[in-house]
Amino acid sequence: MDISSFLDGLSIAVQPINILWIIVGGFLGTIVGMLPGLGPATAVAVLIPVTFGMNPVSAIILMAAIYYGAMYGGSRSSILLNTPGDGSAIAATFDGYPMAKKGQAGEALAISAVASFIGGLIAVVGFIFLAEPLANFALKFGPAEYFLLMLLTLSAIVALSIGKMVKGFLAMMVGLALSTVGIDTQTGVYRFTMDIPHLSEGIDFLIVIIGVYAIGEVLYNFLNIDKQKKEKKKVGKVWFTKEQWKRSKWPILRSGPLGFIIGVLPGAGGSIASMISYTSEKQISKRTEEFGEGAVEGLAAPESSNNAASVGAMIPLLTMGIPGSGTTAVMLGALIMLGLRPGPLLFEQQPETAWALINSMFIGNLALVIINIALVGLLVKILDTPAKVLYPIIVLLAFIGTYTLSYSVIDFFLLLIFGLFGLMMKVMDIPIAPLVLALIVGTDMEQNFRMAVLSSNGSLGVFFSSGVSIGLVILTVLSLCYPLIVKLAKRKKNMSEDEDQVYKSS
Amino acid sequence: MKTLKLIMPIGLIIFSVVFLFASLNLPKANLGNPYGPIYFPLGLSILMLIFSVIFFIQEFKKINEPNNDIRLMLSGRTPKLILFTIAAGLVYAFLFEPLGFLYSTMIFLGALLFFINGSKKWLVNIIVTVSFSFISWYAFSQLLGVSLP
Repeated sequence: MDISSFLDGLSIAVQPINILWIIVGGFLGTIVGMLPGLGPATAVAVLIPVTFGMNPVSAIILMAAIYYGAMYGGSRSSILLNTPGDGSAIAATFDGYPMAKKGQAGEALAISAVASFIGGLIAVVGFIFLAEPLANFALKFGPAEYFLLMLLTLSAIVALSIGKMVKGFLAMMVGLALSTVGIDTQTGVYRFTMDIPHLSEGIDFLIVIIGVYAIGEVLYNFLNIDKQKKEKKKVGKVWFTKEQWKRSKWPILRSGPLGFIIGVLPGAGGSIASMISYTSEKQISKRTEEFGEGAVEGLAAPESSNNAASVGAMIPLLTMGIPGSGTTAVMLGALIMLGLRPGPLLFEQQPETAWALINSMFIGNLALVIINIALVGLLVKILDTPAKVLYPIIVLLAFIGTYTLSYSVIDFFLLLIFGLFGLMMKVMDIPIAPLVLALIVGTDMEQNFRMAVLSSNGSLGVFFSSGVSIGLVILTVLSLCYPLIVKLAKRKKNMSEDEDQVYKSS
Repeated sequence: MKTLKLIMPIGLIIFSVVFLFASLNLPKANLGNPYGPIYFPLGLSILMLIFSVIFFIQEFKKINEPNNDIRLMLSGRTPKLILFTIAAGLVYAFLFEPLGFLYSTMIFLGALLFFINGSKKWLVNIIVTVSFSFISWYAFSQLLGVSLP
């Protein structure tokens, strides 16, 4: 680790304007994340326009703050309302909601904030040590390795949507198909533009993202709009007892590194991380019977884990330019828009950007734990704001955001089309993350594939020519066999219900 | 309702077929390999066709299993809400430039709020509409420097 770039980064991160963005982003992210049914990907997508006109460093700091703000917020609604914002907050309902029902809402909120904070910190430390070596490793990648890495990421995210692989593949292919629209950069051929000049630069992936994540999610939430429960929760003192801390301490410290590693892996994100932490804590606990009835460690462990995973997920994004999850794919889209291309060269050419972000994560986690404990009264009040008022506002923000992309109302029509498409995907239970991921890496994937084949005079042997590429091919094949392995394991030993639940939601 | 389940797979099959033919009709490149721009979309469209047919068969096999989301989507006021939001979005697209940001946004947001939140809460709706329209106008055009009509 390079101390001077670390300090450079720190000095950028502590600039008052960036601290302000961290707090604003964390707060806004928390609010959107708290809305039932809306998660971090939606939060980042809706708030993207706020980053336009900012310098890229502040923009990435803000987006990261929105991201983990939404992670914190997601657990608020899990604990208080039993309605997780997204997959990674599901595990928080298992013991968080029972705790709130027992009158321990304040304790649950506090332990979840502190657990998230510690998990985040552990992951940031891991980030510092892992990011640069990984970036240096990725510098040696040629087009063939890049193509295979993207293929691995895509197949991993499809494979993890267990039980709906066909749908996952279809979502991925639609994403890839959309990415081919526009001028082919290698030959200048216009593809699928239907003679509409607006399409010659391709379909802006941010429109698709805002469409499926913001409009699509709001439309989907209309399905239950009149059934949302009104529950007034007394929160009381937001702090936990010594006894609760003693029980949570080790689960938090164990789950942080675990979540971080899972977050770094392609395709696996907060949902898987929190679920694995929950089940493993349940298995090693002496109080197994209390899990699901409001065991404090059953809340602390997944909270630490999913926040660590959200930091870990930033590593492949920054060091290789390859997002491993839906939310990081959205962030990559916004960064490209701002002219910042994450990848191995980022650490060489703009070390201050990378290190400013890393330092901002420290500050951001600190700010969020304070926001989530000190302002809990305000947050609970916001949670009481009827969703029926907030959904129209989100729809409006989606429209404004779309307009700022290219100042054209033609994009509004595309936005509505993709919003409806997103709704249909949700209704038909088709995973959305593969679509978004494929759309964003699609162009690069095709170009890298063709460059690799071109460099070897048309031979596909180039994909088996180096140790790294052979390793990636093997991992891709293994990831595709993973659902099969799970199926076999399931047949042997009936899988616990908790794990089933995450696969349905992811 | 049962047939609704098949709309998505059929739509995807049609999309794949159109995509397949469009790929075959792509112009050849003058630079490099003339078929360079065609391979990827062509391969993709064939795979997509195969997978969407599998998807169709899967859905067809369990056509009698109820899909709770489709039922919800068609019951109560949900279909009206969805259609209204889409229609309001279309109207917004047409009014946005002629009326300017502030007025068109007030109409759009106000309409959505009255329809979704109900006209009984008219006071809240009006307050949110007016204040939020102004706040977003100020934030985007003044603070963030976005040029709005």
